[in-house]
Amino acid sequence: MEKVIIIRYAEIHLKGKNRGYFERIFSNNLEKALKGIRHEIHRTSGRYLIADFDEERTDEIMLRVSKVFGVHSYSLGLLTENDEDSIFEAAKRVAPQSGTFKVETHRGDKHYPLTSMEISARIGGRLLAYDYELKVDVHTPAHTVYVDIREGGRALIFGTFVDGLHGMPVSTAGRGLLLISGGIDSPVAGYMMAKRGMTVELLHFHSYPYTNEAAKEKVVTLSKLLSDYTLVTKLTTVSVTHIQEEIHKNCAAELNVTLLRRFMFRIAERIALREGAGCLVTGESLGQVASQTLEGLTSSNAVVRLPVLRPLIGFDKEDIVAIAKKIGTFETSTLPYEDCCTVFLPDFPAIRPKLSFIEEEEKKLDIESLVEEALSSREVIRF
Amino acid sequence: MIYFDNAATTRPDGEALQKAAQFTTELYFNPSAKYGGGFAVSKQMNAMREALLAHLNAVGKYDLIFTSCGTEADNQAIFSCGKRGNVVTTAGEHAAVYSACNELKNRGVEPRFAPVERDGSVKIESILSLVDEKTSLVSVVHVNNETGAVNDIAAIAKAVKAKNPRTVFHSDGVQAFGKIPFAPPPEVDLYSVSAHKIGGLKGTGGLFKRKGLALSPHIYGGGQENGQRSGTENTFGIAVFAYAAEKKFKTLKEDEIRLKTYREMLFSALDGEIFVRLSPENGSPYLLTVSAVGMRGEVLERMLWDRGLCVGTGSACSSKHRFSRVMTACGYGERVLDGVLRMSFSPATTEEEIKEAAALLNSTAKEFQRNTN
Repeated sequence: MEKVIIIRYAEIHLKGKNRGYFERIFSNNLEKALKGIRHEIHRTSGRYLIADFDEERTDEIMLRVSKVFGVHSYSLGLLTENDEDSIFEAAKRVAPQSGTFKVETHRGDKHYPLTSMEISARIGGRLLAYDYELKVDVHTPAHTVYVDIREGGRALIFGTFVDGLHGMPVSTAGRGLLLISGGIDSPVAGYMMAKRGMTVELLHFHSYPYTNEAAKEKVVTLSKLLSDYTLVTKLTTVSVTHIQEEIHKNCAAELNVTLLRRFMFRIAERIALREGAGCLVTGESLGQVASQTLEGLTSSNAVVRLPVLRPLIGFDKEDIVAIAKKIGTFETSTLPYEDCCTVFLPDFPAIRPKLSFIEEEEKKLDIESLVEEALSSREVIRF
Repeated sequence: MIYFDNAATTRPDGEALQKAAQFTTELYFNPSAKYGGGFAVSKQMNAMREALLAHLNAVGKYDLIFTSCGTEADNQAIFSCGKRGNVVTTAGEHAAVYSACNELKNRGVEPRFAPVERDGSVKIESILSLVDEKTSLVSVVHVNNETGAVNDIAAIAKAVKAKNPRTVFHSDGVQAFGKIPFAPPPEVDLYSVSAHKIGGLKGTGGLFKRKGLALSPHIYGGGQENGQRSGTENTFGIAVFAYAAEKKFKTLKEDEIRLKTYREMLFSALDGEIFVRLSPENGSPYLLTVSAVGMRGEVLERMLWDRGLCVGTGSACSSKHRFSRVMTACGYGERVLDGVLRMSFSPATTEEEIKEAAALLNSTAKEFQRNTN
């Protein structure tokens, strides 16, 4: 009898002939998530078993598994021989001390000599005889002892199903570049895309010395938190200080933010192409701020050819906050460090900037050399 | 790098560190231990205590309680002596006093804050008008850590005692100790000091207590420091403090005169169209506070750091808030408050540094203007 963590996966079974590919990636992702903790991963049909693991760190393993996309559910259980005595011994350890219970059996191995009902009845009966405090209630039991008869003469016995994150294993759905600020939204946007299997690379724009090191450090912290889900452990940063200064000096004040965002998109696209990313991802949500109106979004889209994915576009702030809290980024996002400097903020930013006006104003700047200069400030932080 | 943030902390004095090293090697014993080694450490520690007292001409008149920092000394003074009625302090206090006084509200004691003048100093009348028969404690900062304004605490203490002799008088002397010539008159009951502002280490402070004044401990335990402050003494930190102070007090007078000249030299070299002066001429020679009006002090601070000049913006302890509470209390508007920069010196400051710093301040502020206007 051996302690194991049983992992069932979601959605991958839909993938027909590509299933092997998805399963390999899923298994790799589990390996990455459990890096640094002793464990073995075994694949059985429809399940993964984490075995031979550092039992003192069981809670940590469970926590890490809870953050892996593609996990449908997981259970801490026992792996044993599938003869009745062995199953009973394991069931004794999984069963509660007292209260109502039932045994529920699933036969993965259809050649097993007993039916599911028969196994449940026998194990339930022996548990009752063993412990008089227990009572059977097949309709609304307080506890359930699950018996899963597997191929190869093995059985899995466990007491609970913990719901996983669902979604698709990351790195099965292409690569995107997330524009991450220190705010609440962008980490959530990254999480959403990772949930659909995307590999989410990270890019952060700063304007030191107008913003401070603490603001940048905050983004590194957010990136680390996000990496539990995305498994990406690298952040690229680029300075847009000079671009902000040039816009401020030369262009209409109400277009400050609009113009800056166009530069950010241009720079992001170049970095995306270098990193093999096929799209940009942002945390924009329609109408949330002046630059996130339809006109604002259009003006940013106009300078890039790559698709821009905005998974939060139809979300209310409170929906976004709820996810940020769930994934643990909210607290860090709300630390009081400015991620863009108010020195350059216009009193009234343009809400519906016209593309023709934007392009006219932009002609006052040497776009190409500003972009190149910003790209040369690129730094890569690995964590 | 030119280091002009000595009011935040100073570089620890190398010689003092070396001399004190014996307390981490052969003299590592617990000063409370009853055997020879413990006694030897205790004896030396008490000699240092006496030496520190002597710098304020306070031997025989005051006790010195070693604490972990100036903030702890301030807190002990306020929570020990501000137990009833009201406590009078100023709007120009360091957060260690200001926040502690605010906390008194939760303990049923009324804090009263006297307004400060434009330069951060407080008038005797402003204090006296708040003192009444129920005032248990008055606490007035000696040197304002943001403007450098010096309060005549001897005169204030005398006036307070004349109005209510039962009132305890405390002063936060963190920016004054070792910098401003001072010997507390008997009307000053408590005086807080800190080691790391004069070449000592962070983690060491002290509270001068007039003999005969009953003080309750802030930290309970093994009864060290005559029961006034439990916890094994930081003997190494205390030794560095004593050695650094010994050196500092030796040159106190000449440092004062020289740094005053430097301070004026720096201010007169600054571009008058950009900078306005916020610290008074009769303030501490150790610091000059100006405002680059309409600019963002914090941004200038980082730009200057990158160019090799380290300055402070207001109080480093409250830099998470946009405007300094103390500078706001002085009555300045947002544009002045935004641009506050504090240059603070040490005996190691040189004339060349002053000239170079002035040039850097002028050119950096102009660059900021060019880039943001």
